[in-house]
Amino acid sequence: MAIHPEIGSQLVNFCSALLLLTCFAIIAQRRLSACVDLFALQSVFLAVTAALVAFLTGAYHIYVAAALTVVIKVVVLPRILKAVIERLNVKRELELNINIPSSLLVCGALVILAFYITQPIISLGFLLTQDSLAIALAIVLIGFFTMIARKKAVTQVIGFLVIENGLFLGATAAAYGMPLIVELGVFFDVLVAGLIVGIYTHRLQDTFDSVDTTKLTALKE
Amino acid sequence: MDPALIGMIAAPLFSALLSLATKSRRSMERLQLGHAVVLWAAMAAVVAGVAAGDDVSFGSLLRADALSAFMDLMLAFVGGTALFYAVGYMGEKLSRGEVEFLRYRRFFVYFDLFLFAMVLAVNLDNIALMWIAIEGSTLSAALLINFERTKTALEAGWKYIILSFVGIALALFGTVLVYYASEHVLGVRMEALQWSALHRVASDLNPTALELAFIFIVIGYGTKAGIAPMHAWLPDAHAEAPTPISAVLSGLMLNLGLYAVLRLKTIVDPAVGSEFAGSIMVGLGLLSMTIAATFMLIQRDYKRFFAYSSIEHVGIVLVGFGVGGAAGVFGGLFHMINHALAKSTAFYAAGRVLLRYGHKNIEGVTGLLRQMPLVGGAMLLAALALAGMPPFGLFISEFLIAAGAYDARPWVAYLFLGLLAVAFAALVYQVFRMVLGEPKETGRPMTPGGGRLTAAALAAHLVAMGYIGMHMPGFLRALFIPMSHIFHAVAEIP
Repeated sequence: MAIHPEIGSQLVNFCSALLLLTCFAIIAQRRLSACVDLFALQSVFLAVTAALVAFLTGAYHIYVAAALTVVIKVVVLPRILKAVIERLNVKRELELNINIPSSLLVCGALVILAFYITQPIISLGFLLTQDSLAIALAIVLIGFFTMIARKKAVTQVIGFLVIENGLFLGATAAAYGMPLIVELGVFFDVLVAGLIVGIYTHRLQDTFDSVDTTKLTALKE
Repeated sequence: MDPALIGMIAAPLFSALLSLATKSRRSMERLQLGHAVVLWAAMAAVVAGVAAGDDVSFGSLLRADALSAFMDLMLAFVGGTALFYAVGYMGEKLSRGEVEFLRYRRFFVYFDLFLFAMVLAVNLDNIALMWIAIEGSTLSAALLINFERTKTALEAGWKYIILSFVGIALALFGTVLVYYASEHVLGVRMEALQWSALHRVASDLNPTALELAFIFIVIGYGTKAGIAPMHAWLPDAHAEAPTPISAVLSGLMLNLGLYAVLRLKTIVDPAVGSEFAGSIMVGLGLLSMTIAATFMLIQRDYKRFFAYSSIEHVGIVLVGFGVGGAAGVFGGLFHMINHALAKSTAFYAAGRVLLRYGHKNIEGVTGLLRQMPLVGGAMLLAALALAGMPPFGLFISEFLIAAGAYDARPWVAYLFLGLLAVAFAALVYQVFRMVLGEPKETGRPMTPGGGRLTAAALAAHLVAMGYIGMHMPGFLRALFIPMSHIFHAVAEIP
């Protein structure tokens, strides 16, 4: 079945835009378990985008990456995070470093910045995924911002995972996916990173009786 | 196909696996000391092979050119002495009952994995696989930094995790951008990620994409290299990590971060001209030196003090490569290896002091030369080397970098020399306070076994530092000539 390239390109852009939209939803959400759910939803969109690119280009190794995304980012990591939230008994993020309306404004500005930065090189890319590179950079920047704007260790981890999603979209968009061995290695690293962060949050809770990272202030000049 | 290359990379991995099976302290000690010897032997074979003129490779994934062999030399030599030192250091902690055997064993498993990831990273002929290996070293370091499990160690570990994970993610974005640029020339396949292929076609790559990639990679791997302003994790992590790890973080991991930036620079320069990457590196280098020199003067904790000194030296290396030319490149490379040797010597000595007194206050430590003559003497010599005194190699490299900077941009040279003077004053002031005078505290008694291993590690480093400072060995010279070609700097090796 052949799909008109124009329609294919629109579909990929639509899915990428949904990824970006979930970033805004994460920023606007205070409840931690809802943030985890939104991250899982974002990963579903990511897997769909990757599968779409695989289908449209015939680069079948991207299917493997899409399947791994579903297993690791939709199932395993959200479960780990939910278990952490359950055990730590932190339901909501009450104090934010930056309030939600201004956070959303900053994120809007970050999207514009991302499109501005990638403008000169966007014409290099394949027609199908041209705009996804800018969206990927926007997602990376918003993930970055989430880590700065939030105080709880769990939300910072979600920010990190959002950055990872942006990177994965970038790799798919820029190059129809990195070679398979690279994708596998990156997934392995993300999984181990998730586990290590899980261990760390447990130790933070045990030692400080809190996962509020603003309490980590002993080390300074 | 080269067995030595595989042996060098596999030795730490096997050692990690075997460590999991050890049941006693004696068998762990034998295993780790044997591991160090195997690492040295395999490294010597690889370096000899590359120095003889040919790149050593294994399939299309692993390839050691002169720059890789130079990194191998550093990683294996300091990694091996760090194993000797760690056996003594952790043994002391074990016999005092500060750690139980299971955690002692886990320390060596993580340490071996850390070494494995670093040795692997510099020999991979692939920019994306190198990223995976560097991420692996970040993960194992994260487990080692909070090994002591105190509140402050946990804080340092969390800071390290957050900063370096973000950094490494940005580096991956940079890597994707390199691939984005190179697949247009090399096609969508593995070759488009190979350093050797990238190096060959560098001048045909899209300059804007590479400029963007370089910015992401400098911020990303620069976090790992401790370049200011991404250095916030570094003093905390060095102060809180077990001291053998502090030595390896400073001596090796910072250089690994620099290695990744430098590799990319060799690709970016032919595409966009050396001015672009060079200016960024000079700017960041001078900023690192300024911040580090200031904090060195007011430091009260001797491990943090040496950590800030590492930021200063990373800055010096950046200035060297930033100004470029034969003098800058040779100075930068020579500075990397000499700093690796001198800084780990300083940390080895600092670790013995910490074991004895149980605190890290500079003011509480006096008269080291009388109380612990070997450790105090080593710390004094290391500090003189770090301050850039002859006959040590750091004098030569700083002199060359200053000369290179003077040719390129005189104001850089003036600022560079001014900052060196501040750092010199800080080193002399802080370290002389510790080694001279009358001892105030007696501290805890130390077991002789750990002392002998420490003495061996310190002696190996001091001999190596003195040797390459006064006389350039043939194998090093044989590596420098092809390296100057890699960096596009026509060579007149002094």
